[in-house]
Amino acid sequence: MKYLSPEQLAPFFASLEATHEVRLPILLPDGTRTLGHPSDGPLALQGGPLPGKPTAAFFPHEGGVFTAAAETVSTPPAPEKPLLVAGFTPRDLACLRFIDRFFADGWRDDIYFRRRQGAVIVGASGYCGPGGSLIPCADGECDLELVADCARWLVVPYTNAGEAIVGGLPDAAPDGALERIREESAALADVNEVLILRASELIRADRVPDTFWAEIGDRCIACTGCNLACPTCTCFGVQDWRYAERVERSRMWDSCQLDGFMREASGHNPLGTEALRTRRRIHHKLAADPERWGKISCFVCGRCDTVCPTGIGIFAVARELVERFGSVGGKAGSPCP
Amino acid sequence: MNHTLTVCPYCGTGCMFYLVSDGGRLVGVEPSVTHPVSRAGLCVKGWNAFAFVHHPDRLTTPLIRRDGELRPASWDEALGLVVERLRDIQGKHGANSIMFASSAKATNEENYLLMKLARGVFGTNNIDHCARLCHSSTVVGLAETFGSGAMTNSIDCIDQAKVILVIGSNTTEQHPLIGSRILKAARSGARLIVADNRRIRLARHADLHLRHRNGSDVALLNGMMQVIIAEGLEDREFIDSRCENYPALAAAVADWTPERAAAVTGLDPEDIVAAARLFATAKTAMIVYSMGITQHSHGVDNVRCCAALAMLTGNLGRPGTGVNPLRGQNNVQGGCDMGALPDVLTGYQKVADPAVREKFARAWGVDGLPEQPGLPLTRAMDAAAEGLLKGMFILGENPILSDPDQGHARRALESLDFLAVQDIFLTETAQLAHVVLPAACFAEKEGTFTNTERRVQRVRKAVEPPGEARADWEIICALAERAGYGGMRYPDPSAVMDEIASLTPIYGGIGYDRLDPHGLQWPCPDRGHPGTPILHVGRFTRGQGRFSPVDYRPPSELPDDDYPFVLTTGRTYFHWHTGTMTRRTHLLDREERRSFVEINPDDAARLGVRERDQVVVTSRRGEVRTQARVTEMVVPGVVFMPFHFAEGAANALTNNVLDPESSIPEFKVCAVRVRRAP
Repeated sequence: MKYLSPEQLAPFFASLEATHEVRLPILLPDGTRTLGHPSDGPLALQGGPLPGKPTAAFFPHEGGVFTAAAETVSTPPAPEKPLLVAGFTPRDLACLRFIDRFFADGWRDDIYFRRRQGAVIVGASGYCGPGGSLIPCADGECDLELVADCARWLVVPYTNAGEAIVGGLPDAAPDGALERIREESAALADVNEVLILRASELIRADRVPDTFWAEIGDRCIACTGCNLACPTCTCFGVQDWRYAERVERSRMWDSCQLDGFMREASGHNPLGTEALRTRRRIHHKLAADPERWGKISCFVCGRCDTVCPTGIGIFAVARELVERFGSVGGKAGSPCP
Repeated sequence: MNHTLTVCPYCGTGCMFYLVSDGGRLVGVEPSVTHPVSRAGLCVKGWNAFAFVHHPDRLTTPLIRRDGELRPASWDEALGLVVERLRDIQGKHGANSIMFASSAKATNEENYLLMKLARGVFGTNNIDHCARLCHSSTVVGLAETFGSGAMTNSIDCIDQAKVILVIGSNTTEQHPLIGSRILKAARSGARLIVADNRRIRLARHADLHLRHRNGSDVALLNGMMQVIIAEGLEDREFIDSRCENYPALAAAVADWTPERAAAVTGLDPEDIVAAARLFATAKTAMIVYSMGITQHSHGVDNVRCCAALAMLTGNLGRPGTGVNPLRGQNNVQGGCDMGALPDVLTGYQKVADPAVREKFARAWGVDGLPEQPGLPLTRAMDAAAEGLLKGMFILGENPILSDPDQGHARRALESLDFLAVQDIFLTETAQLAHVVLPAACFAEKEGTFTNTERRVQRVRKAVEPPGEARADWEIICALAERAGYGGMRYPDPSAVMDEIASLTPIYGGIGYDRLDPHGLQWPCPDRGHPGTPILHVGRFTRGQGRFSPVDYRPPSELPDDDYPFVLTTGRTYFHWHTGTMTRRTHLLDREERRSFVEINPDDAARLGVRERDQVVVTSRRGEVRTQARVTEMVVPGVVFMPFHFAEGAANALTNNVLDPESSIPEFKVCAVRVRRAP
């Protein structure tokens, strides 16, 4: 096992720029953290999940699909160097795994894989959560993991690509630090995870009446932030812009909370009410995906709860749902106490 | 990949976000997590604020009308022609034969510079901007009653209010990050009164939803004040120590019993009593209002009543209280602050005051400044239609869609000898121009916007403007140079702000070095001042708060047999004003693709109109074809149309009658008839 001191972290990433296009958590001028180049701001690996989804490195808010000019059609080039994206928490890694499968399933999304293929994924865990709290170790699912043990970052490679990158780093004395953090990780209970599982059970057991979704929908201002912040939301819209001598097609993140998302050309909309759209958002993650993939597709990252201006992120909805409909022997449709 | 912290270009809430750019192109938006207003969130327009910037329709070169067509021209030609024609008109018809329309979309610095150009270089006070159409009633009404025509409190105060009265504001749609704050407050125990006859989202969460008749706000508010005084719920100590002219108010509202107010408003008298008691007995009660209050022929009276209700109950100068007009545009507060108004220079310093004129003239190095207040924008349009105004320079406004009575607006602009338009797209207004100057948009320039809570925030350049487009401030300075004035040479907008601060007491402590990360709230009189989150603490700006009692005046045009419906107009959540930017934003345009009219199911059934039927809406001014949206959002007898759409333009129907004091048009009430389209 290798290690890096906090002071060595930034130079380490900077050194990787020779071979990789590096994206890592940085601190922006007003204290917001985001993925950026090492030169864009101070390194900010501490602080837990980034507010924006790290999967945006591969599936950006807006990106080119193709440009058609005269008789040629060109697609955006792949990055000159493979990406190296740092800062994935274990939950982010689960999200990445999910959308990797989604974008590869059936018809492979070449725009996504143009950036994703060959990318090096660096996890972040240990005592680097908000306020120095513990983020459980990933123990795999990435090329290498940086595990904060208060005084230093333990560097744990899991793949050949990871091994190659950390080869030159100093070895850490086997003092049991990593094992200790792993044990503490294993002992961590996440109330939100329990909540999400219970909400999924209740929804799948048809214990949640439509009136509940109407109430939640009434609080939705259709900002779309829940979808745009969610690492497992992959819906996109497509637009064509016609310039004098070319047409550019691009795609941008879309949202199932918008009326136009499902509206038919006739104007009819099978998801034509806020209640139906809100229900769909939660159902998709907690009921539809478990049936399709065998697993809930909310990986409990909490971003939608942070970004939602009205307090109806998935944790908040699950909490309310479980409180109202989850009591033992409780009846579906029972009123809020 | 770069992240540029800047301010949203849409509403006056003033959310800050990062524009994400890659290779000189915007690729997304990320919210600021620490911003005190947006607090990690954004509305759908904010999330999509990057998406119109590189649109192929952007203007990239100056255009000059030749042989009836707008054709590309050089900057040198275009700037020269603008100055030459405006000077020529002034030479023939006098200094006040031209008008400058500034823009609440432009920065403070740009509004200041256009104001300086109009007054200092062209010698006219004929400068105004679209605040005339939205909150001119507020500026007049609150200046008279409090001494300052701005939101008294901060957005944060919503969290401390025990009762919130939202009157004439569809806050979750028009100021979504403020509306969501109100929504959360209501869920956390604050009592919510919504006075608006549309069933807006906030109404669904309200303790009381008052669906009073359009334009009956004075009756409602007078009725509430009558109840408060009759039941002894007024704040005597506040009234005695902080206010003046109370006896006149008490006398004026004495006859406004709940029954009388109910007869005018169409409400149940008990609801008026309940609203009065709820508001008056709260420890902290806040009034939030917007266009439903201001856009009437008695808009100033409505504002006076809001001010009186707050003073009567002692709800000013404390957290969780206040009279809080939500400013519409991203920088409409700043446009007013910068003196892009016909009667005041920066910081509401009156042009009629010789000492003020002398101060500015000396600073600008000019011999003198015009003394008579200029024309408000709405009256300038009237003057143009009558042939009294000959030339107009319009920066970033689109009156063909935004002004009342479209036919009148078109006649006005077509009557001009010369029209120059400076904009980012070839708007419906720019299409009529003799010269079009291509401008940079918010993402392509530096400056500041001032949000609705008086927070002056930095706007930053993330990408280069397209083609030959230039920042508005650069264009205005170039025009001044061409006009032979050497006093508008600035290295950057920061230097313009330094000049503003030196001349403007409420901005005296503002400088770019002090605005990181999230700005300062004016008044900020000196460099050591931390800014002012709450106005009128301990003392009103004017000294004592003044009760200005008013009596009810009905709207100018009410329904009759020929035109049996009230038409009220406004905006939708997904579009911004005349759609220049949002209709070029894929997701926003997809959401609301076309003009529509909301009509109550009872009315629709009577007219044989079904959902999505084409209907014709006719007023005394015009007729439009639009799509019916059958909904209980509106009460029977009232129809609502948004004004974003060039096709099916609501303002082809609206009534160009103005409030006599503020010159704001009565966008909120006119009479129409509706029929199924053949």
